Amino acid sequence: METITKAPNAVNLIENKKYKLVAEDIVASYDNVIAVKNVTMKFKEKAVTALIGPSGCGKTTFLRCLNRMHELSKNAKISGRVLLDGEDLYSNHQDPIINRRKIGMVFQKPNPFPTMSIYDNVAAGLKLNGLRNKTILDEIVKGCLEMVYLWDEVKDNLKKPGMSLSGGQQQRLCIARALAIQPEVLLMDEPASSLDPIATQKIEEMMNELKKEYTIIIVTHNMQQAMRVSDYTGFMYLGELIEFGETKQIFENPLKEITAKYVQGQFG
Amino acid sequence: MITVEQRAEFRTHFRYNVGRRLVIDKIVKGIVFACVVMAIIPLGSILLEVFTNGSAALSIEFLTQIPGAIGTGEGGISPAIQGTLLLIGMSSLIGVPIGILSGIFLSEFGDNRYGKAIRFFNDVLAEFPTIVIGIFAFLVIVLVFGNFSLWAGTFALSIIMLPIITRTTEESLKLVPVTYREAGFALGIKRWAVITRIIIASAKSGMITGIMLAVARIAGETAPLIFTILGSSQFFSGFDGPMDALPLRIWRISMLPYDSAQAQGWGAALVLILIVLSINIGVRYVFLRKSGGAFRFRSVRRRL
Amino acid sequence: MTRLIDPHLNKLSFLMEKMGNLAAQSINLAIDSYLGGKNARNEAYELSSQIANLYEEIGTLTFDMILKYQPVARDFRLIRSSIEISYGFTRFGRYAYDITVVRDIYGDLSECKNEVIYTISGEIKHMINLAIQCFATLDLGKAKQLQTDEDLVDKYYNKHLPMLINSKNIKCALADALVLRYLERIADHASFMGESVNYIVAGNRTIR
Repeated sequence: METITKAPNAVNLIENKKYKLVAEDIVASYDNVIAVKNVTMKFKEKAVTALIGPSGCGKTTFLRCLNRMHELSKNAKISGRVLLDGEDLYSNHQDPIINRRKIGMVFQKPNPFPTMSIYDNVAAGLKLNGLRNKTILDEIVKGCLEMVYLWDEVKDNLKKPGMSLSGGQQQRLCIARALAIQPEVLLMDEPASSLDPIATQKIEEMMNELKKEYTIIIVTHNMQQAMRVSDYTGFMYLGELIEFGETKQIFENPLKEITAKYVQGQFG
Repeated sequence: MITVEQRAEFRTHFRYNVGRRLVIDKIVKGIVFACVVMAIIPLGSILLEVFTNGSAALSIEFLTQIPGAIGTGEGGISPAIQGTLLLIGMSSLIGVPIGILSGIFLSEFGDNRYGKAIRFFNDVLAEFPTIVIGIFAFLVIVLVFGNFSLWAGTFALSIIMLPIITRTTEESLKLVPVTYREAGFALGIKRWAVITRIIIASAKSGMITGIMLAVARIAGETAPLIFTILGSSQFFSGFDGPMDALPLRIWRISMLPYDSAQAQGWGAALVLILIVLSINIGVRYVFLRKSGGAFRFRSVRRRL
Repeated sequence: MTRLIDPHLNKLSFLMEKMGNLAAQSINLAIDSYLGGKNARNEAYELSSQIANLYEEIGTLTFDMILKYQPVARDFRLIRSSIEISYGFTRFGRYAYDITVVRDIYGDLSECKNEVIYTISGEIKHMINLAIQCFATLDLGKAKQLQTDEDLVDKYYNKHLPMLINSKNIKCALADALVLRYLERIADHASFMGESVNYIVAGNRTIR
């Protein structure tokens, strides 16, 4: 893992105030394959930003750069800056663990911890980080499960294994788990790709609520989903950010020919 | 693109030999089943033999008395049982923690040159003839301290345990899907907590199987014990004195030309099998029973 | 690679073409019969109702496409503009019919010889063709021209409508006023079509 940090630029800092998260000149590679080429993107606060693009275009890698998960992969390299509220996550004095507590992540496949109960799954991030106060834990677990509309379905079975839930419920459990550590930004890597339409709809409705409080960045293959849930959309192709703008503009009137071709389903 | 005609052709080609394929399927199934039976026959016959021959020797006296005079058929194997239990317990106390920790090291941090070297030597150690390890213990402990001792036996057996536990721990940790690790890291959980609280909890069953394999292995080891604890007819008298163990006793008395001694040998073999079996079942029950998931791992740690 | 939506888009353009031809035919008929003093009310009604049927058909088709394929980008803009333009065509048919109705109500109008009507109707015929061409070729130059033409028709209309007050012949003045009004509306819709075409190509309605 190699981090190259540039000195913060005074002009940029002023401009970046409007944005919750700013990624600058991100170049990421693994096994000497460059997956993300010089991507600069700014994410507005309390809005949903969708990343679309064909398979292998670097969306997921880019997303993983935003909370320093990419560097955990084998032979991963990254350069560039990621600013959360103007603070560089990649600067040397920042512990990646602290960053990951500020930026929650939801994965493609539901992955509740197999040995833990529903309650423990939600509480895992807090408990394993040393929070022991039972009343606070109970309150947070209840709050997070309510936020993902799961509380009513599981309130009588909190001691059951997390794995006993259905796929859609498991994914919502994972979102609750990510919310429990009280992040400011939520990264979602195709959160509904393995779910049925009803479960997908529930997740999307939930995102609509969550965006009142969180800055959400979602990677999705489903363009209709991007249209439904996001305020801003970025189109990535071959590791580059081709076009980035308001979702309505990207889908109604894309400026680049290749974006138009992709969203119209002419390739991808 | 395959044309419609080609596809129709493939279809007929694919369907004409259904009967033959079903027959082949049945034959292969039969062969596989036969192999299973062949593998079970020796196991079953050994168990049967040991039970039929050994149960006759079992008695309270046999289990609680020290060995009687040679050839009388009196006395018991109590010191040997005591020795075996002590050896298993002490070797596990040394071998299990070291083995698990090195397994964790290899799986979590061993993706480099050092890890590869350690893995290689670990595999070599696993294939080492145990008698060589016995001689080694004889050289570095028995000769240095001047007497055969339980310490020397423990030393030799924990060396035998180590590579097995290390390897199985590493393998079962590696089987835990990377998604759980990532989920843990994404929650901002520290690495050691992810390893101890999430990954080990998921890999527990495989790790315990490995430990049980190692325990069964050392419980039956004879050769290294000849050089280390020597054997004795007396109860435990100190960690620095010679001691008896079941495999050693079996080996000794079964070489005697008396029928009564051989009957005792069968009895001792049965006791050894029962000990290994009950340790295995007991440990599995304690560590792996379903407790609803909640707080499972922590309660286990407390019991440890 | 053929996308699932492509056959439907082809059908849409076929229907639009058919509709455009009918609209042009009905307006030519209405103007010619008005200027030539013929009563063509029934034919114009027939054409207008054919156009209305096509409008229904296009409505169903576009609705189908939006529901099934959730079109985006240019597909979406084409469909949205087609809905607008097909509505424009129904207006053409309707105004053509209205013009023939004027002729039908007032009877013989051969004494009225208003040069303005001649000039504007020539202009309108030209604009209709231009509008249809513009949609068929997605040529923004034609869209721009439609706008200039519409300005011109507006100027004519604003100048000559007040002048009808001084007309001696009330019957002629009323008929001319109505026809002028219809022609002005037609020109308006033709220029809207130019804007719709601009939206298909550039994603906005302002013609530069």
